[in-house]
Amino acid sequence: MASLREMQGAFAAALRDPSVACAVLPPENLSVYRNNSAVSFRMALESSFPVVRRRVGDDYFRQLSVQYRERYPSRSGDLHWIGRDFPAFLLEELHGSEYAWLADLARLEWSRAQAAIAKVETSLPADVLGRFAADQLERLVFGLQPSLRLVASDFPIFSVWLANQHENASPVDQSLGSECGMVRMRSDVLEVRPLEAHLFSYLCALQAGAPLGEAVSAAGLDQTTLVSALGFVFTEGLVSSLR
Amino acid sequence: MARLGSRGVSGPIPASAGIGFRSVHHHALDAERPAVGWIEAHTENYFHEGGAAGRALERARANYPLSLHGVGLGLGSAEGVDREHLTRVKHAIARFEPALVSEHACWGRAGGEFFNDLLPLPYTDEAVELLARQVGEAQDFLGVQLLIENVSAYVTFEHSPLKEWEFLSAVSANSGCGLLLDVNNVYVSSKNLGFDAQAFIDGLPPGRVGEIHLAGHAQSGALLIDDHGSQVCEAVWELYRYAVNRFGALPTLIEWDTHIPALSTLVAESRRADVILGEVRGLAA
Repeated sequence: MASLREMQGAFAAALRDPSVACAVLPPENLSVYRNNSAVSFRMALESSFPVVRRRVGDDYFRQLSVQYRERYPSRSGDLHWIGRDFPAFLLEELHGSEYAWLADLARLEWSRAQAAIAKVETSLPADVLGRFAADQLERLVFGLQPSLRLVASDFPIFSVWLANQHENASPVDQSLGSECGMVRMRSDVLEVRPLEAHLFSYLCALQAGAPLGEAVSAAGLDQTTLVSALGFVFTEGLVSSLR
Repeated sequence: MARLGSRGVSGPIPASAGIGFRSVHHHALDAERPAVGWIEAHTENYFHEGGAAGRALERARANYPLSLHGVGLGLGSAEGVDREHLTRVKHAIARFEPALVSEHACWGRAGGEFFNDLLPLPYTDEAVELLARQVGEAQDFLGVQLLIENVSAYVTFEHSPLKEWEFLSAVSANSGCGLLLDVNNVYVSSKNLGFDAQAFIDGLPPGRVGEIHLAGHAQSGALLIDDHGSQVCEAVWELYRYAVNRFGALPTLIEWDTHIPALSTLVAESRRADVILGEVRGLAA
């Protein structure tokens, strides 16, 4: 008599491959379970990557979901994590092709899915800087909101994402070139926003834990852009701690 | 009597009808505050510290007693229970302080792959022992008694010598868990697999059932599919009345997870369950 572990292993094998036998009755009804798990997987993927789905269409997205699941089966009972490797999968599939930008678009959408579940901390106002002497400012390290995700691509993925907030949007001209920007949660709303390159570099340095002076140097900010960049992190509520 | 605790309304879930807490109803539930006895949320939707969903549940929690209903632990998996998943359930319990916590009599992973579905168990002594042991370990870790729900089934294992109700009764006796009786699942499985639904109800021990689920199902060829996508059918209402006559008035959930209608439709379904619960209470008085 097969053990429980063997029975479940055979059941799982039959779900993966309809030609594999399994000691259940009636065996043809295994298709219900096969369909349930495939649909759950695909719906979780659609939920995390709505714009990728819009750009490739339902049929191709369904095909991608099947292929992705074969290579990256679910490793969690929490459906949220199903999309974790989808950007890497698309990169493997599409690298070097004219559709390589879809992998970066997926990376942006996964950043969004992650920002959606991140903790939101209380933002500090700009006047906290008044507590520090002028010569201390460049050594300050900013703690940024945990939901902040910074994404850069050789493709105009922010333009694509923003243009595809409804079905049947027109394609975005890929010759627009590289874009960078941020994703974050603010007041229960997910914000996806392109940024200028210098501001993006500055935020990347701050997020990596660089002191303010180093972040300013790394981003190549001059006196004018420094003032606006410093103001930006506070007016946008991105700073949650200072040390 | 329910009271307002640190997270909101606390105390036991009342023996009345509740509704599922779904994102499309967050705003309406906040604004309309319908008079339903309690709400039930899927535990896995509240695993994360941040997110709008968790904050919506915190707001709802201030107005309604809460049940957390898990769908992803796979307590009958022979490969064991995912400790990380269990830890997230524990955090959700600490955050939302539910009055009831439930899961399913099923398995969900093999070979490291999760199928994210409620897969059926063979009804054997080995499966009783494994499920009871893993339910017991989960209860010890979580610090709560679990209610374990019967699942809808579309197949039976060739070797499955126990009746499903014998299996569930033994798991409850061996682990100390309560049972969540899903009347729609009993009906769906009875039609798909050819057993007497009332015999199922009769076979469960009174005093172990702590909650009832009601939902709609769909017909697909000769099969009934448990899709939670429509109103409760008349045959399931009749079976519910039969169950309540046997087990007494119990917290009863209207589940509706696909093709979700307006909140008022769910509330109307819950009223119907409340009428039946009231009739049974009247007979008992």
